[in-house]
Amino acid sequence: MDVLQGTLDMLVLRTLLAGSLHGYGIAKNIRSASNEALEIEFGSLYPALKRLEAKGWIASEWEMSEHNRRAKFYKLTAAGRKHLSREHSEWAEFVSAVGRIMGPAPKVKA
Amino acid sequence: MTIWNRLKYLWPARRREEERDMREELESLGAIAGRKELGNLTLAIENARGTWGWTWIESVGADIRYSLRALRRQPGFVTVAVLSLALAIGANSAIFSFADALLLRPLPVPDASAVFDVSSTTPDNPFGGVSFPDYRDLREKSRSFAGLAAYRLTTVAATTNPAVPAQVRRGMLVSDNFFQVLAIAPSAGRSFLPEEAASPGQTVALIGYDFWQAQYAGSRSAIGSTLRINGIVFTIAGITPKSFTGLDRFVRPSIFIPLGMAQRLAGEAADPLEDRGRHELVVKGRLSADASKESAQAELSSIGVALERAYSRTNHNRHPVVRTELEKRIRETPQLLALIKMLMGLVGLILIIACSNIANLLLARARARSREIAIRLSLGAGQRRLIRQLMTESFIVAMAGGAVGLFFAYGGILLLQTLNVPSEPPSVLGVELDWRVVEFSLLAALASCIFFGLAPAWQTVRMDFVSALKAGGHGVFGQRRTLGRDALVAGQIALAMVVLIAAGMFLAGFQKMLLVTPDFRTDHLISIDTAPDLLHYSPEQTRAFYRRLVDRAQTLAGVKSVAMTESLPLSPSQTAVSVVPEGYQFPKGREKAVVFGGAAEAGYFSAMNVKITRGRPFTNDDRAGSHRVAIVNEQFAKIYWPGQDPIGKRIRLDSAGGPAAEVVGIAKTGHYLLVNEAPSPYVYLAYEQNPRPRMTLIVQSSGDPTALAAPLRDLVRSIDPNLPLFNLRTVARLYESRATGTWLQFFQMVGTMGFIGLALATTGLYGLIAYTVSRRVKEFGVRVALGASRRDVVWLVERRGLILACTGIGIGAALTAAAAPLLSAGFLGLGASSPAVYVVVPLGLLMISAAASYLPARRAAGLDPLRALRNE
Repeated sequence: MDVLQGTLDMLVLRTLLAGSLHGYGIAKNIRSASNEALEIEFGSLYPALKRLEAKGWIASEWEMSEHNRRAKFYKLTAAGRKHLSREHSEWAEFVSAVGRIMGPAPKVKA
Repeated sequence: MTIWNRLKYLWPARRREEERDMREELESLGAIAGRKELGNLTLAIENARGTWGWTWIESVGADIRYSLRALRRQPGFVTVAVLSLALAIGANSAIFSFADALLLRPLPVPDASAVFDVSSTTPDNPFGGVSFPDYRDLREKSRSFAGLAAYRLTTVAATTNPAVPAQVRRGMLVSDNFFQVLAIAPSAGRSFLPEEAASPGQTVALIGYDFWQAQYAGSRSAIGSTLRINGIVFTIAGITPKSFTGLDRFVRPSIFIPLGMAQRLAGEAADPLEDRGRHELVVKGRLSADASKESAQAELSSIGVALERAYSRTNHNRHPVVRTELEKRIRETPQLLALIKMLMGLVGLILIIACSNIANLLLARARARSREIAIRLSLGAGQRRLIRQLMTESFIVAMAGGAVGLFFAYGGILLLQTLNVPSEPPSVLGVELDWRVVEFSLLAALASCIFFGLAPAWQTVRMDFVSALKAGGHGVFGQRRTLGRDALVAGQIALAMVVLIAAGMFLAGFQKMLLVTPDFRTDHLISIDTAPDLLHYSPEQTRAFYRRLVDRAQTLAGVKSVAMTESLPLSPSQTAVSVVPEGYQFPKGREKAVVFGGAAEAGYFSAMNVKITRGRPFTNDDRAGSHRVAIVNEQFAKIYWPGQDPIGKRIRLDSAGGPAAEVVGIAKTGHYLLVNEAPSPYVYLAYEQNPRPRMTLIVQSSGDPTALAAPLRDLVRSIDPNLPLFNLRTVARLYESRATGTWLQFFQMVGTMGFIGLALATTGLYGLIAYTVSRRVKEFGVRVALGASRRDVVWLVERRGLILACTGIGIGAALTAAAAPLLSAGFLGLGASSPAVYVVVPLGLLMISAAASYLPARRAAGLDPLRALRNE
């Protein structure tokens, strides 16, 4: 399943809520959290990280990884946390609105 | 993205550092996850960089670097293109600065677009000034203007040192709020206080920047020092800024005096500010923020109606009119607008010729570059990106052309600056290389770049690049491809023809003008102006002074005769009289005629050799108490008394109720203001019956008139050492500068345009023919090998050049016919062109075209057939 345009930023912020991660870690995390349903291309995740960083919603720092390798870790900033909570409620409204329109799945006669 | 974050990436070092950091990060991730897992990392970095929002700067930088490299490889093309464009833009900018000085330049005040002119018009006079009482009422009652300022130009005699005779200067009498309304802050000192400007006024003055520099060498001590103006001692309160050059196009005032001083300065018995009938003031208003020109006009109209009702004697048929500065100038001098339209039109054509030239060169270059372009296209460069890159090249060429063009423009401006007519105080034609001219040049360059660059760029990237690669550097342009270039060259020749015909018409008219003998004597005459009114002479004193001056001048050695006149023919300051010719029915709303005219002494007609065709000249018997007489010219008689005998008719002076003068003589119609003016009516009045405060003395010499200059100056000084004297010059010099000097420069101007146009068009034709020859080397080789003679080959090439030239000349003839009214409107009196021009110009063009095609033709004929065939 592809990630809906515009939701990638939200997913990244949500993932970082649990703690700081490096770029590849974020991609892996989103994949496992969605039970392998969402496949994130690293090539599109990376520019999104840079964009979020430029907006001041996440910050990065060089740290040691679990395997004792140097990597750049991203973490949520205060502004990012605020933005995420706003995005979150907007997202919830959007989902319930679409859900009301769609209703239960229609039965299709074969 | 925050502005700060974006801006920080503008710094190249910052970008490089960030990029290093990203590469490092991705390498470390690659070590953790494996390269394959991460996908295309170069693309990831590329996209991440895109988030900074500055990639376009990098790509524009790359375009410019690439373009410069490409241009360096073609010095020939760059030289020709830049020079063509520089010539054209130089001509355009010089003419623009001329148009700016004549008409277009806004008032030199802050936010000039909010300043409007208010005049008081009647059906007889659409530019009338405003009387002070009217001005006061308008100022009090109007709400549309943030402020209304009034001023009047005047000539004053000023001296910083009482021991030195005063010199004539231009001055401005200004209302108390003048500098506030125009938002002019003095560069030093202060402006006027309300009580200083109100009648009866106080003796304070501001001086202009140039005057300050010239008289006080820019010293601060000027402020507070005294200045004698018309014999009254003034204290200098301040200095106007350098940028403020006055509100009139051709006058740079040196001295600013409170309007309240008007009465004392002129030494008048009654206060002119209390006379509602004296419409002398120029009024400028700065519109308030919530008003428009229309609302201001509506408001002033209603005030005008109220004034007309309250003061029916002075304000009958009088309406205040709000105009923009440009509207006012165009209405005042419509002939200048016609002149400017014509000159701008001609240089515009030259710019089009130059642009077509460059477009043609670019199209030829497209072939040479087809391989390079094909490779870039096949490597995946986008068409739009390629067009952008090609346009960058054109842009660089255009900007270089614009910059070099400014140097040419400067040369033209130096020439135009010599157009000033020698007079005192000087009238100024402010042709300058200022920021407006620079902006104009760059805009012209930008417009040209789009004009000459876009189509060739489009054509270049749209070619069939597979065959271009196959053809190995010789792009695939069939016959169809040169069709556009043929059209460009024919168009160039057509436009060059229009410019040349204009130059030819001008030359023909100029020759005619040189052949015209002046309609009055110009040799052995010297004239001198004096201004006793500036020293407050009473009318009796003035008459006594002039009587004495004439009598004593007659006794000078070498003097043949002496006469006086109010205005000298062709002098730039002509006087006018208001007359009501008896028996003439004016159109509704008009009550009198304002025509050129003035007082002249009995000896004037013989001294100046102005012919009296019927009746008699003035005699010494036409004196103060005797029967009033006048002399009109033939044109006057023709207009006002057609088919009747004018001798014995009467004209009322000033208005229908004014004194009547009987016409005793008819003078031959001459030229009064310009040598190319249409015949104008003129009225001479007898000086003794109409004594004037200021007269011009004309002295006829038996020998060299310049030898009389010093004795005449000494003579005036011996009568009154304080009297300002000016315009001491021979009539021959005045005639030359007015009749031929200005026109010679105009001719040089238009002639240069014609030459540039011809040179550019010829280059274009030569370039195209040479290009065709180089494309057909193989064909010519075959023809020669099959036995074609040299003459056959030459003719083959020549024929093409001549067909193009003939097509161009045909189109040019049609264009000239369409442009003729514009051309003749620009130079009144020159438009009646000699038919020779219409023969000489096309023939000349044809010959030059033949010559331009002959060079490549000879090369084609001289080709060695074997080598030509082997080459391909």
